[in-house]
Amino acid sequence: MSENISAYAHPDVLVSTEWLAEHLEEPGVRIVESNEDVLLYDTGHIPGAVHIDWRLDLQDPVVRDYVTTEAFADLCSRNGITPETTCIFYGDKSNWWACYALWAFRLFGHTKVKILNGGRDKWVAEQRPLTRAKPKLEPVNYPVPARRHDGAIRAFYEETLEHMSNARPMIDVRSPGEFSGEVTHMPEYPQEGVLRGGHIPGAKSVPWKTAVNADGTFKSAEELRKIYGEGAGLKKDDDIIAYCRIGERSSHTWFVLGYLLGYEKVRNYDGSWTEWGNRVRAPIERS
Amino acid sequence: MYPPKLQAIIDLFESLPEEEKRENLIAYAEQAKKHGPKEGEKFDLEDVRKDEECTDTVGVFMQVDAERRVHFRITLGPQVQTLTKAMTAILCRGLDGCTLEEVLELPADFVPKIVGGQLVRIRSQTVYYILTRMKSACKAYANRLRAAAGGMTNDK
Repeated sequence: MSENISAYAHPDVLVSTEWLAEHLEEPGVRIVESNEDVLLYDTGHIPGAVHIDWRLDLQDPVVRDYVTTEAFADLCSRNGITPETTCIFYGDKSNWWACYALWAFRLFGHTKVKILNGGRDKWVAEQRPLTRAKPKLEPVNYPVPARRHDGAIRAFYEETLEHMSNARPMIDVRSPGEFSGEVTHMPEYPQEGVLRGGHIPGAKSVPWKTAVNADGTFKSAEELRKIYGEGAGLKKDDDIIAYCRIGERSSHTWFVLGYLLGYEKVRNYDGSWTEWGNRVRAPIERS
Repeated sequence: MYPPKLQAIIDLFESLPEEEKRENLIAYAEQAKKHGPKEGEKFDLEDVRKDEECTDTVGVFMQVDAERRVHFRITLGPQVQTLTKAMTAILCRGLDGCTLEEVLELPADFVPKIVGGQLVRIRSQTVYYILTRMKSACKAYANRLRAAAGGMTNDK
């Protein structure tokens, strides 16, 4: 954990592994695991944690979009989450999918959200307890949200195109090879159906990984300001769009920019390169 | 259609409800380490590498017996996904004693039968990776045999 956590814009959005270990049964809290490895939760998870699958639980099974407000309410209800519950997200891959799940919860207006700093890997590395026992939860009432809040934190293709045309800041969080167009998949992953390589013209390359330490915790506020402020040139009132391939790595950067650095207008373009790189006549820059 | 040992595993998984399927996959994943090389074992082909398509290093160690039947040992790096670990144990057991040709001709369509439709998704395509590497080892060994016999090799 960063020594000076209070220097983050919203320090209360992070919990440490130490804190969580001592508050596993904290009233009003639900621990939520969300991973890329689809079986990881089943191999053992933090006691009391529920599992939310980014694909099965959060995404529409047919259309490339998120579930309905009714399905979200049902998901929360069966996982013992009410609108008053504070959800603490954690997962593998330095919390990629935890941040993605958190961002999706925000789409539905659930604002009581936190991230376990360092995620699953740090918890496991510290040899903290894991269990295979799934919590037995009585369904609770989660009223169906009146609407989704896509406009505030989510960018679509047309909005991103307009953003580009107006030369507003965009952060490409993919690996350097993906940004340059040298490769069309990220290192260590299969091709995910992208037809063209490169990046959105005007976007700056700041790989998501630059925001984390070796143990998966977030870098200090001072380090992050250097990376995104001095390095990428982001200014306090900027309107920012972050993107990657399918929106999970950019959720991580969206979290860093909004919650840790306090940028007030940050959107995640979740269509990302798997939409842009396949779109007919979408402008592409290579470098 | 499939080698008998693999067919038995497929039959088992196809009979299981989703929850038990997951439990069995985890049980297989936990056995993956047991399929690593044992001390003193010698192999006819060793192929240890980290490819772009997989999250960590995978080593394929192959023995070919006098009847040209293959026996695999596999090493996996710690970042390899659970599903890939499970498939390692399943394939080491299910293909043990197959001929080179049987491994090379094995279609990959058994994977969803074992894993189930819910868990096979783009981000878990590495579940196919171990089979690809086993086939690659068989192909390299077959080429070596052909070369030793004075025939032509064709790696393309």
